Amino acid sequence: MKAFYRFFIFSLALLFLISCAKKEDVIKIGTAGPFTGDQARIGNDMKNGVELAVSEWNTKGGVLGKKIVLLAEDDRHDPKEAVSVANKLVSAGVVGVIGHLNSNCTKPASRIYNEKGIPMITPASTNPEITQQGFNSVFRTCGRDDQQGAGLAKFVIETLKKKKVAVLHDKTTYGQGLSEEFKKAAGDKVQVMIYEGVTQGDQDFKPVLTKVKSTNPDVIFFGGMHTEGGLIIKQAKELGIKAPVIGGDGLYGSTLLEVAGPAAEGSYMAFFTPTAETETGRNFVKNYTAKYGEIETYAPYAYDAANILLEAIAQAKTTDGKKLIEAIRAMKYEGAVGTIEYDAKGDIKKAGYTIYTVKDKKFITYSKSK
Amino acid sequence: MFLQQIINGLTIGSVYALIALGYTMVYGILQLINFAHGEIYMIGAYMGIIAIGFFVYLGLADISLTLTLILTFIAAMIFTGAYGITLERIAYRPMRNAPRLSILISAIGMSIFLQNYVMLAQGAKDKIFPHDLKIQGGLTIADAHITYIQIMIMLISILMMAGLTYFVKKTKIGMAMRATSQDMRMAGLLGINTDRIIVITFFLGSILAGAAGVMISMYYGIVNFSMGYAAGIKAFTAAVLGGIGNIPGAMLGGILLGLIEALGAGYISSEYKDVFAFAILVIVLIFRPSGLLDERVSEKV
Repeated sequence: MKAFYRFFIFSLALLFLISCAKKEDVIKIGTAGPFTGDQARIGNDMKNGVELAVSEWNTKGGVLGKKIVLLAEDDRHDPKEAVSVANKLVSAGVVGVIGHLNSNCTKPASRIYNEKGIPMITPASTNPEITQQGFNSVFRTCGRDDQQGAGLAKFVIETLKKKKVAVLHDKTTYGQGLSEEFKKAAGDKVQVMIYEGVTQGDQDFKPVLTKVKSTNPDVIFFGGMHTEGGLIIKQAKELGIKAPVIGGDGLYGSTLLEVAGPAAEGSYMAFFTPTAETETGRNFVKNYTAKYGEIETYAPYAYDAANILLEAIAQAKTTDGKKLIEAIRAMKYEGAVGTIEYDAKGDIKKAGYTIYTVKDKKFITYSKSK
Repeated sequence: MFLQQIINGLTIGSVYALIALGYTMVYGILQLINFAHGEIYMIGAYMGIIAIGFFVYLGLADISLTLTLILTFIAAMIFTGAYGITLERIAYRPMRNAPRLSILISAIGMSIFLQNYVMLAQGAKDKIFPHDLKIQGGLTIADAHITYIQIMIMLISILMMAGLTYFVKKTKIGMAMRATSQDMRMAGLLGINTDRIIVITFFLGSILAGAAGVMISMYYGIVNFSMGYAAGIKAFTAAVLGGIGNIPGAMLGGILLGLIEALGAGYISSEYKDVFAFAILVIVLIFRPSGLLDERVSEKV
């Protein structure tokens, strides 16, 4: 009987091995981001963008005559998890990756993709260091925090004409990086009353906001994501702070509006150019909203990133990483967010951003700049 | 600024105290650290949102907001209590005579299970407590702002803690609870149904955590499946700080922890907010290994 069990288990293992060894005639691309947890909404927004691009290519008959399969892995905006899902994607044999979302995940993961020579295009990680690691496989479709930080500094100084700024950040690569860039760009034109970090995932910001209040700032700058941003905006109002909260693309997301509620009115956040007024842009908005509902944040950037990768495969006529990277670098792509062209580091050549403000529970354009 | 920090600290501290009571009561009776207690608190927060959604659907909010909120509290507490009892029944009772380590593993397993269960059932996204159903406004004392929700949190916490103290000190079941915590076998021999007492202990701990969950979801406005972990660790720290197994100790520990966090973040640095709480814990445990208020741990363990 025992021998029978052993044989059974062996046959099970055999079955598994054989199924693995079977050569699948598909092209696998990967995407990774925070698909669960407090940033699940923007994570899934990004995934949907990639999915839309993949399904459009598949209806056209795939690429190189093969079907495209999308592997999506959840990194829960945790750098450790990001490394492990990056390894997982690599060993699953993806030919390129769209992701990750958070800079602190993209940075360690990009090393793994680079070692394997697989192109990675992030639609959302804005930390400047990501493209300064000397990896030629790293690209992004969004702008950088130094551009954003400078834009926000200019906005505070020239448009709002405020001098006293309290700067808070969430201690992440993105949040702290953006705050640093903001501070650097603002230079001595503003007076930084207080510069302090808070913990991502914390919900009680009243102690630090009480301290912020005692320095009496004109503006509170927050480098971080929308959940914490929403709580900070709400708790600042509860403490009687009148200074508006201002931040980067991390604050742009409907979670912020829901968390902060009426307190969000009159806060400012930068985001990149929304979808372009071109046919591609309009088609994307139409198809995306029909399939997934409202666009949250990074979906158009993810859509373009996926299209660039698939287009590169089609142009290079191979899935070889080196050729793909060359093809991406040489490409001039007309995407949903406008024309995308890469410089030597993998940054886009032209990155515009828009300042939004909240009015009647909606993000509305405050000013555009190039 | 000082007064404001005290208010901030007392608000969060009273919530810690409510959750810490659940840890300490269970420890007092079973010498078990119920690691799933943080998840019970998280379930309380979800129950609050579900209950208020249900009452709004019934149209109760249009009649009276206060009544809706009171009913929300009651409903959430009852359902959370039910979770606590079930938890005891399926994860701890079958292991009553097992080695302590096995029960601890069972507790951690339940904690992981409940987190993922809620994630699957309710989705991974944050749930938002409806803004227009929250108590609005607040008071200004000197230059400190205190919202009505903060006042409500403190009042309800004090009421519940007073109620619990009365229950444990003055009622017959309370006496039986104290007897069980001193010597379970002896209490059993004297005719106390110790299994029932344990169930009651879990129920009481869970309804306190449930109330804390509802209050926090009103205060911060968001609820997610992972919120129980951090709160559970903090409340556990509070219970140890006050002397685990000791009911007034848990209350003291909770309030102290809240105050330490607020003052540390306010006057030193918010970057190390969590560090202060744990640093104080380490210091207290070096000088008073059994916590601030406890005297009898040495004879028990």
